[in-house]
Amino acid sequence: MLKSLNIQDMRQKLGQAVDHRVRIITAGLGLNELRAVMRGDPPTEKPNPRYKVHTTSFLFHIRPRYYEAGSTIFTHTFRLGFFTAFFFFVELFTGLILMIYYTPSPEKAYTSILNLMSNVPYGQMLRDIHRLGAEAMVIFTVLHMLRTYLTASYKKDRSFTWLTGVVLLGITMLLSFSGYLLPWDQLAYWAVTVGTSMAEAAPIFGNQVNLLLRGAPDIAANGLLRFYLLHVVLLPLAAILVISIHYYKVSREHGISLPAYMEEGDVKPEVKKAAKQRIDFIPDLFTHEVFLVSLGLLILVLGVTVFNYHAPLETIANPQVTPLDTKAPWYFWFLQGMLKLGDKILMGIIIPTVLVLVLVGLPYIDRNPHRSMYKRPIAVAIGVLAILAMVVLSYMGLPQYGIESDAATRIIQDMAPEEGVGPLREVPFEQLQPGSYEVGATPMDDMCPTLDFGCPDFEKFFKTYSSLVEEMISMDRLPEDAQALVVIDDWQQDLKKITMRIVWAEEGKNKTYERHVYQHRERGSE
Amino acid sequence: MSRINIQILLGALFIFITSAIILVYGINEQNRMAEFERATRARAIEQGAALFEQQCSRCHGTQGTGIAGLCPPLNDRYFFDNRMQEIAWTGSIEDYIVATVSSGRLGSTRPQLFPGQGVPAMPSFSDHYGGPLREDQIRNLAAYVMNWQETAQLVQVPTPPAGPVVGNDIAKELPEGEATAGESLATSLGCTACHILAPTGPAWLASAEQPGIGTRAASRITQSDYTGKAQTPEQYLFESIVLTNDYIVSGFSAGIMPNNYANTLTDQNMADLIAYLLTLK
Repeated sequence: MLKSLNIQDMRQKLGQAVDHRVRIITAGLGLNELRAVMRGDPPTEKPNPRYKVHTTSFLFHIRPRYYEAGSTIFTHTFRLGFFTAFFFFVELFTGLILMIYYTPSPEKAYTSILNLMSNVPYGQMLRDIHRLGAEAMVIFTVLHMLRTYLTASYKKDRSFTWLTGVVLLGITMLLSFSGYLLPWDQLAYWAVTVGTSMAEAAPIFGNQVNLLLRGAPDIAANGLLRFYLLHVVLLPLAAILVISIHYYKVSREHGISLPAYMEEGDVKPEVKKAAKQRIDFIPDLFTHEVFLVSLGLLILVLGVTVFNYHAPLETIANPQVTPLDTKAPWYFWFLQGMLKLGDKILMGIIIPTVLVLVLVGLPYIDRNPHRSMYKRPIAVAIGVLAILAMVVLSYMGLPQYGIESDAATRIIQDMAPEEGVGPLREVPFEQLQPGSYEVGATPMDDMCPTLDFGCPDFEKFFKTYSSLVEEMISMDRLPEDAQALVVIDDWQQDLKKITMRIVWAEEGKNKTYERHVYQHRERGSE
Repeated sequence: MSRINIQILLGALFIFITSAIILVYGINEQNRMAEFERATRARAIEQGAALFEQQCSRCHGTQGTGIAGLCPPLNDRYFFDNRMQEIAWTGSIEDYIVATVSSGRLGSTRPQLFPGQGVPAMPSFSDHYGGPLREDQIRNLAAYVMNWQETAQLVQVPTPPAGPVVGNDIAKELPEGEATAGESLATSLGCTACHILAPTGPAWLASAEQPGIGTRAASRITQSDYTGKAQTPEQYLFESIVLTNDYIVSGFSAGIMPNNYANTLTDQNMADLIAYLLTLK
């Protein structure tokens, strides 16, 4: 009986069966072929089974079969578009999980974030990655656009792709901005209030747009729900649609551009030939992309662990209290900077609209047929100037610039900001010894003789405080005899009350600015 | 090795490192979550402290020790240990605080000792019932009050005055006062609950900026912005204690000081207090 069983035959049959399964799963690659792909060997069968995958598999059919060698040079694209898409998928994935724990209502939103942080394993990491990915996506979108501008890849048959790219820039910023409000903390609430109030500058329909976005004159339950739905439904759908169009043009119509020096002017035939050489998607580009994904994931995870990036979370939103130093998200600082320069309608509506129109119409405005940077000096100069202008305007958009607040308020806000940490909050709890400390009167060394190791951090804080006061006095923003105090009281078990008070004479009257800060032993760092 | 091999190798390595980091991160998750919970509680207490100062300290005292004849102490052993049984509350103390702060009190449960502001004895603070605070703020307030639980001492509730009350006629003839009795009264009446503005001690003492209240009383009645009716330093102090809104010292707002002392102090109490305060030059 055993003799009649043909082992060889069995092995062959089994092998065929396995091979058949593998072909189905890989959409056309057999066992041997898969092995060859992984080893980087040439195809084992004819016709090339690797091309077959691009017709039988959905996910591969939207990818091209090959790229031209010239377009895969790293320093030409820096993989910026790829990483933008990568971050978009990271956002989709982390966002879907975060949605499980989130409730879009003013009563619950902030608590649900606290719950995510204190009760969900990996909750904080997810939130941090989602936030880091969002910032990275905005940055990479802008860089990708900048690269396209500098290599002049928007010209001729790529002009429509450029247009979809401009739309995607807008969608990306809106996605990030709409997500900003969801934690419902002071930072979110006021950044979005500032952001949406820019829309209010528009004539005639400004108020309506603002009302439509906020759902009421001020952001409340309606506004939060609207931003939530924008963030998780409308904008992601729009992004997926426009990304698909954007990518389809690249993959099926014109491909990634070649560097200008490989196709413009006198190019040696061998260079031209090498540039046009085909690099197959499977295995070269596919492996490269998987490699980039693993690199991207590693960088994200390193960012939120080793490099300690954490999504900010301030105190719960309080519509009654506008914090000092309110600002929009960083990618809108340039708008805030522009608003400080002039009229609200001109700077807030007309110029931004013109800027967007210029971006949209760029392929038609720039009629220079050349792509090489050396042959389009004006375009490159405008690009560089635009970046510089953006940086300067962003700086001007900061609340520290151009808004002269009262000297005492400024000092105390710098030492003990209403939100975030600041020098006072950084002083360890034990070093806050009860007592009254006056700038210029209390000696600045050995301030806590009762502590074994003294209080170096409190002394550092007090020195900074003193130097800020002296600076203001030397700038004549505070009178010579201004009195600056720090009073520390033991307030409760594990709780101290710190009063910062500045008293100065102005127009014959004594003026006082003071702020009470309560510090608990276990508050932790941010 | 070909480029593909290197990328596969490096990619595998990256994924391995990423997984390892996530795994190691996960080991500490329980601690991190617990620490976050403590930090959240700590911040709730900090916020509650600021709210207590704004909303509650006028009546319950800055340190929560209550004000006799007005509002009960909260920083009080009795409050934490016996109050729940007294009123047959079945939930937690924290819930009791939240409930009371939210809805206030129409009438006092101890009208003899702590009549509060009258009717309502305590206003409702929840914005659901027309008050100024959101629910999370009331929770923070409760967290702050609960932080007294471990350290609270028994507050001696002063007994109502023996004999007729002093009334608010500041020109009234008072018996001879005794400064030492006045000093102990100033503590037992809970005046220091609010009058601790100076870093060195009670606000009526002399400090770097100004002399003691005895000297201040004499100079205030001669000031041009003085709006009261007192003719002498004694009358000024009498007026300040019973007719609290007749003259407001610049830098303070009206309505801060309870105005029920005319009905809770006796002639002798008032004389002692004035005698004590006048010694502070």
